[in-house]
Amino acid sequence: MRVAKGAQIAAGTALLALGVAACGGGGSSSGGSGGTNPRAADGTVYIRGCEPQTGFVPGNINEVCGGTINQFVFDQLIKYNSDTAAPELSQAESIESPDNKVWTIKLKPGLKWSDGSPVTAKNYVDAWNYTAYSPNAQNGGWWFGGVEGYSDVATEDPDGPDGPKEAPKPKTDKMSGLEVIDDLTFKVTLTAPEAVFRTKLGYTTFSALPEAFFKDPKSFAQNPVTNGAFKFVKWDHNSQIVVDANPDYAGTEKPKVKKIVYKMYKDDDAAYADLVSNNLDFTELIPPSALAGDKWKSDLGDRAIEGQQGVIQTVTFPLYDKEFGGNADFRKAVSMAIDRKTITDKIFNKGRVPLDGWISPLVDGYKTPGACGELCAYDPAKAKEYLAKAKAAGYTPPKEFPIWYNGDAAHKEWVDATANSINQAFGPDAGVTFVGKAVPTFAEFRDIITSHKMKGLFRTGWQMDYPHIENFLNPLFKTGAGSNDGLFSDKELDAKLREADTATDPADSIAKYQEAEAMLTKEMNAIPLWSFGLQAGTSKWVTGVKVTPFGVLDPLSIAIKEA
Amino acid sequence: MGRYAIRRLLQLIPVLLGTTFLINYMVWQLPGDPFAARCGQRPCPDAYINAMRAEFGLDQPILVQYWHFLKNLLTGDLGVNFNNVSVASQLGESWPITVRLGLMAVVIEAVIGITAGVLSGLKRGGFLDNVITISTLILLSLPVFVTGFLLQWLFGVQLDLIKPTVSPEAPFGELIVPAFVLASLNLAFTARLTRTSIIENRRSDYVRTAIAKGMTNRRVVGVHLLRNSLIPALTFIGTEVGSLMSGAIITEGIYNINGIGGLLWRAVNDHDFTIVVPIASLLVLVYLLANLLVDLLYGVLDPRIRYE
Repeated sequence: MRVAKGAQIAAGTALLALGVAACGGGGSSSGGSGGTNPRAADGTVYIRGCEPQTGFVPGNINEVCGGTINQFVFDQLIKYNSDTAAPELSQAESIESPDNKVWTIKLKPGLKWSDGSPVTAKNYVDAWNYTAYSPNAQNGGWWFGGVEGYSDVATEDPDGPDGPKEAPKPKTDKMSGLEVIDDLTFKVTLTAPEAVFRTKLGYTTFSALPEAFFKDPKSFAQNPVTNGAFKFVKWDHNSQIVVDANPDYAGTEKPKVKKIVYKMYKDDDAAYADLVSNNLDFTELIPPSALAGDKWKSDLGDRAIEGQQGVIQTVTFPLYDKEFGGNADFRKAVSMAIDRKTITDKIFNKGRVPLDGWISPLVDGYKTPGACGELCAYDPAKAKEYLAKAKAAGYTPPKEFPIWYNGDAAHKEWVDATANSINQAFGPDAGVTFVGKAVPTFAEFRDIITSHKMKGLFRTGWQMDYPHIENFLNPLFKTGAGSNDGLFSDKELDAKLREADTATDPADSIAKYQEAEAMLTKEMNAIPLWSFGLQAGTSKWVTGVKVTPFGVLDPLSIAIKEA
Repeated sequence: MGRYAIRRLLQLIPVLLGTTFLINYMVWQLPGDPFAARCGQRPCPDAYINAMRAEFGLDQPILVQYWHFLKNLLTGDLGVNFNNVSVASQLGESWPITVRLGLMAVVIEAVIGITAGVLSGLKRGGFLDNVITISTLILLSLPVFVTGFLLQWLFGVQLDLIKPTVSPEAPFGELIVPAFVLASLNLAFTARLTRTSIIENRRSDYVRTAIAKGMTNRRVVGVHLLRNSLIPALTFIGTEVGSLMSGAIITEGIYNINGIGGLLWRAVNDHDFTIVVPIASLLVLVYLLANLLVDLLYGVLDPRIRYE
């Protein structure tokens, strides 16, 4: 039975593996093979990444996978301080305006693209014109809506993408508000004063594009010429993007590592397992399984990073729907029936911070106490009182009131908890029961929201584009604004926002935005819930790691440990 | 046998046409605009949606789209995905990895499963039989993701014997643990199927005849008993080849393997039909070919089965 003997060994090995797998427990808590630092040899660090949805064209990127790596390789006129989120000059030497309407932007001399050509004012003007020109179909085109001449380069489809008509061809492909003065200077004329324009300039869409781009945009998107702290090396789709430190980088802070590998993971748990065992040097996504019971803190010890990021969670009422739009008192009652503190403590392990206003605590213009005040404080008695008032004014809420969310991300727990909190506060005889309901995917969820067919409260959130109070108000609450998903409209608020937009003095402008924010308490169309904390971790091989208020790695901060 | 094989191959054509049409139709029916979710909390600009729809032919009726798909498929042009990356090159990178993983899993499954089944079938009721029955029961009751995370955590994080995830090139050595995880469930099935049919066939007339003729035990088991007893296990393994390729989604996710499963999963989430349709069609083809191969192998194993 020679054959059988060999087989016996094989079967035995399998059984052993099974046995080990079945009972595997205990063991020491740290991995890694100690001794010398394997990263020191080639100066390479590995960070968690994901496959970008579009190529490397800054004006076309609006999602986090592409946005993160683009910030490594493209510099803008200004950048945001990693600690304070304050806007600081980067490629610009000066950005000046006497009236916030006509801006003169001067570039630093000697800046270079990775192909050796200089960064010029023309690069900026060409790039902005390209992005704004609607036949180029760039995702970021609307960012230039405030520049004079935008309506000449961008036309709208008269009956939307579903209709048979096509958008007319724009009159010209150059905005009249952009003017090159000399190699390093250009002038931007806006249609109306905009105090926040300077702060906006750090957003990816406002990057410059080199001459090489215009020769062949498609191949540029896959293999870009860049001007940031790191330069593009290669992109293996669904696997990794590699960037090298740029030796010619002009910034005051230089890259401390030679190479960053942006390694793509399909699963946050896989990235976390690699982080714990020191095969990955950074991730900003600690999976829920590790956050539960603060397991990640004991796993990572001093390698854990905690912070804040400029993302807030809200729920919004569909004001276009009579049945589920409710009235102001009803919406206030719901807000006061949500126990934000208990939910953030229990479900998020204090990883999120209850909000009492509509803006992130990180940005310019935030104040305590927040504008929402007692309307955002948990008070079951008052909630009941407001509910009675709402009913007295003639609103009968439906028996079942859904809170909608997309089922493909981790929302179920907090939505259910929120519904429970409201139901408990309202009591059993309220005549309305809140329930969490899922739409299978984010795509479907957004589809229903943008076609204004939501029947119930729905989850909304906002990730800041730039750290300023304006970014939390204009896009969300102005009549007809792009992300005003509940179709909220308030003439007075619009007027106040307009006043704030056009104020010439920055401090005055912020004060006006704060007044505008306070006006949201009147209708309470969106209920602020909490602001996102940040949980990140590093391997034992790196040091000095900073995470920006946008929740991503500051690539200049990461350094390899000496020993 | 040759004519039989050709007939079966010709039958593939209508089946493939039907399935690819169904796949196209189902992707078309998916709720939600594929481009609506690509701009986060903001609605995508109309110009962008229009341009993308025109580029990928989404503004045309489904039959026209299907015709374009067929035409491109026959000319070997799979086009680009929504991100303007060649579909063929993405398939070319991930397909070999999945095939490698799948074949390793099949080998593990066949070798360990059949050996364990034979051993326990021959010594029915013995110690080894009990051990194998219990351990396969444990394997059967564990879903793949439990086995996957457990082994990753144990060998990768705690004992530091392997890297928790597989590197982009996915070399042979790094795929052993994922392949075992992928094979674990089927391995248990194979072992049990083989065991049952060995027990059954041991009592059959031809085995008794072979023993009566004075053949060695080794020859009776190895040549007469095993050949007939392998048919159920082979059917099972053959039909599972296809599901090993597509079912690797979970395993590939846990070990971050850059294979077909992950590509498909991502594409389904993004509604990127340019990837979903070719992969699904490819998997249909794998299923069909694997089934054909199994049918032909029946004839080799059992002389009573003849094809014409």
